[in-house]
Parts: sequence; C-alpha cells; structure tokens
Amino acid sequence: MMLRTFSNLCAQSQACFRSARAKSTLSAVIDDTGKSGLILKSVSTDIFENLALEDWIHDHVDLQTRSMLFLWSNAPAVVIGRHQNPWQECNLQVMRQKGIPLARRRSGGGTVFHDLGNVNLTFFTSKKNYDRHRNLQVVTSALKGHRPDMDVRATERFDILLNGQHKISGTAAKLGRTAAYHHCTLLCSADRALLSAVLKPTCQGIKSNATQSVPSPVKNLLDEDPTLDCDTIMDSVASQYNTEFGFSSPVTLVDPSDELSLPGIQRMARELLAWEWTFGRTPKFSICTTFELKNDTSICNATLNMDIKNGIIESCDIEVPSDWLPVELSQKFSLHLIGGKLCPYETSVIAAELLRTIPQNKELERKMYNLCRRVVFMM
Amino acid sequence: MAMRVAFRCLTANFSPVLIQRSRPVQISANRLLWKANPAQSLSTASRLSTALKFTDKHEWVRVEGGIGTVGISKFAQEALGDVVYCGLPEVGQKLEQMEEFGALESVKAASELYSPLTGEVTEINTELAVNPGLVNKSCYEVGWLIKMTIDNPAELDGLMDDCSYEKFIKSLDE
Repeated sequence: MMLRTFSNLCAQSQACFRSARAKSTLSAVIDDTGKSGLILKSVSTDIFENLALEDWIHDHVDLQTRSMLFLWSNAPAVVIGRHQNPWQECNLQVMRQKGIPLARRRSGGGTVFHDLGNVNLTFFTSKKNYDRHRNLQVVTSALKGHRPDMDVRATERFDILLNGQHKISGTAAKLGRTAAYHHCTLLCSADRALLSAVLKPTCQGIKSNATQSVPSPVKNLLDEDPTLDCDTIMDSVASQYNTEFGFSSPVTLVDPSDELSLPGIQRMARELLAWEWTFGRTPKFSICTTFELKNDTSICNATLNMDIKNGIIESCDIEVPSDWLPVELSQKFSLHLIGGKLCPYETSVIAAELLRTIPQNKELERKMYNLCRRVVFMM
Repeated sequence: MAMRVAFRCLTANFSPVLIQRSRPVQISANRLLWKANPAQSLSTASRLSTALKFTDKHEWVRVEGGIGTVGISKFAQEALGDVVYCGLPEVGQKLEQMEEFGALESVKAASELYSPLTGEVTEINTELAVNPGLVNKSCYEVGWLIKMTIDNPAELDGLMDDCSYEKFIKSLDE
C-alpha cells in the first residue's frame, strides 16, 4: 500500500497546486483529487487530536459523493461514549496515577481502552450510505485474507468476535446533518492487564441513567496469529476497503495538528480536552454509598449522598457518627463541596483549607484527614 | 378547496380509528388519540388547529401560545431504532436555527438534533430521562423533546407543512 503524505498528494495534483496557494485545506485538496474514495492515516497518537480530526472531516469534507476511511491509533487513553458516566465506567484513580487521559467521543456506545496495540477505523459516508455491516465485512474479510480459517464474525451488536467468544472489536457511530461516521476498534496487541485495570470502576453507589457499557472478554489478534500486528492490519483493511467499494486510493498521511490544512481543528481538540466536555457532559447522577473509616483505635461506617449535575456537586450530605467526628466538621465539609466540581484536585484544596481550621488536636486532625482522603478517593 | 386537498392528502395516513372519528367537527391534533403501534401516523384535521411544521432534518415544531414544542418525526424515530438516551440542552440555553442542541442515542448511533428555530429553551421533557422510549412510542405527543421561544416567527414559513413533508420523505427513497 503506497503511502503518501498530505503534501505529496498536494504537490502531485496540478489543480491542487493552484489551490495550495489560495486555500490548501484538506477538504479543498480532497475535492481537487476528484476521487470518490479516500484513505487517510493519522501521524498523531494523541486521542484528542485524532477525535478532533474525525469531527473536522465530518464537518468540512463533502461526504455526499464520496466515502473515506480513516486509520488511527493512540497512546494509552480511555474513551467513553457521548452519554456515559466516567465515574461509573473506569478507574479514574489508576488513570491519574499512570497519566492515562480520559476522552469523551461524540459518538454513542460504550467505554474502550486505546493504546498503540489497538487500531481505530473510521468509515465516513453520507447518511444514505451508512452501513455498519458492510464496513465490518471489510474488516473481517481483511483478517480472513491473512488467515482464511480464522473465525471472526460480526454480531448483531456490531462487535467482532474471535472464535465466537472473545471480543476483538467494538463499534460506535454518529449521524450528523448529512453525513455519518462509524468507527470501530480492533485489538491487535493491546496491554490487556492495563485494559482490565482501567476499565474497572471504583466509585460505588452510582444511580444514573447514563448509557452503560456491556463488558466482554477480549483477546488480541496477535495472540491468535503472530503476523497480525497493527501495521499489517491497517494495510490489509485499507486494501480490502478499496476492493469492497471499488476505490483505488493510496493511504495518505495526515497531521491532525496542522491548523493550516485543517482550519479550526485546534479549537476542536481543545473543546474535547476541556473538563466541561469530558466530565461536565456526564448525565445527571447521584452517589449513595457507605464506607469505612478507621484509625488506630476505632472503626466506623460513614455515608455519603451526593447529587451531581454537569459534573458539579449540587447537593452533598456526608454523615459520620458523632462519637467519631464532631457533626459540625462533616457538615462543614459537605457544605463546602456543594457548587464545586466532582474533582479530586478541587476537593483536596477544600479539604486542606478545612484541616487548617481544626484546633490543635492530632487525633481529630487524623480522623478528618481520613474522611477527606476517602471522599477524594471516590472521585 | 385547499381544505379538501389538505384532508385528502392526509387521509392516506389515517388509521382506521381516526377515520371513524373524523366527522365534520374540528379535531385538534392535540386531542386525537394515538395508538401506540408502528402504524401511528400524523394528521391534522383542520388547518386552523395547531399544525406541525417540519424541517428537512425530520424534526417537527408545534406552536402554541408563542411557544414551540419540538420533537422528531415518525420517519426519524423509525430510522433511529430504539432510543436509549436523550441528550437534551439546559433550560435557558439559546439556540440558533439549525444549531445542534443535543443528540438521541439509539442502537443505531448517536444522532444529532438540530434546532428548527431561533429561540430560548423554556422546558425539556424530563420524562425522557426515565423513559427514552417515549420518543419511539409517541413521537408527536408525549415523546416531545424541548419547548422553546420563537424569536423569529418568519422562520416558520421556511419549514414544511405535513403534506410537503410527506412528499419530501417519499423523495428520499428515490
């Protein structure tokens, strides 16, 4: 599969060269190629840049008369669906410890773990030509092209199963004004231990109407066949895409941080990065949970009730037995959390301020510290 | 004359229940009883009742007392499949015509919603938080999405009436 960079594509097309001076955006270049099928591959492994590129293509490229395949993979990240609750879906503590970002995509569906051993495929079409089955057939045919006896099948839920039991691909999609995109993952050689660790939610007692993931046992294609690494798979899928749809497109590399070719893309990536989108777009939910507080001499059960809307704590009631901690302290803590983000950093600042106000009493300080730490841990 | 034409255009969609009920009495769209089945159809028996207007994105708006109620059409809800989540805006949010104001998630995809008019959101259908399937079961009645002010009434003239919308849907199949 011939690889071209975006600038090569530009230089090789006469019409392109004229446009290059006037308006060398990606959509102009694509229009000038006159091709009805194109394959793009991202040079970036940044989840936010790649998600922004998806949105940019969807918004700016004319997809009425053409289709596109976009190939991309990311450094470790957890990606939740548009209407999901991250506190319900993943282990935010572990993610913070390991520097794994959370991203919320604009399509629906469930939560996935991305790393460089996972391939992402996005099929762009007009709404009329939106056909997930056909797209997944491209993937399964590409895999069978390598190993004809491989048992890979798309299910009714648009997952792809290996040997009828292990999920190797999940699907999500977005329907816009006139265009649609269907994207799916493909597990080649992902870090399965890390995958399990980050997709295990730690916040208990959540009541929410957010869309929930359906957990499935997964497997890497590389375990099934050692020749199936990410690059091989991307090449095969690109090839099969051309075959299936009758295109003859080379794979063109794209840099999603290139603002000149993709005007507005940096703003789109910033929007996706913002707390207001990733956490703030969580559907309204409540937390109602009991937890243990211990120190050297005693142990007790405390309860926490919170209502959260747009990621902001709207109401908060932390109850600790009065013989363990004075009621006014837990009440003060509850009151100070209201109106703030459900965010461990903000809560730690509030907790630190409160701890400073406690009169010189080491035991009381330790107990209060335990309580604050426990509450921060939930976030 | 126009009334007869309008009526004839709509009778094709009448379910048997509605034909029995339609005597020369004005029936407002609000009062018609909908059967909750796939044969659910749109009808307005009179041009004087609160008629629905449609966008080419398959949203409808019904104006009553200066407030527009917005929902999606039967065509749209069928195309979507079972709605599992309704992502709606906040009350007070200002919307421009054609601006994206939310999304409906179904097994099909997350489908964006586009405002039919310019105005401010006055109410959102909180029932949909617990029962998103109302959008499928009763897309013209209890499955409404938002209510909004109408800042620019002239925009309504640019929307399709039910006849034009029916023609528009037929043209999509071609």
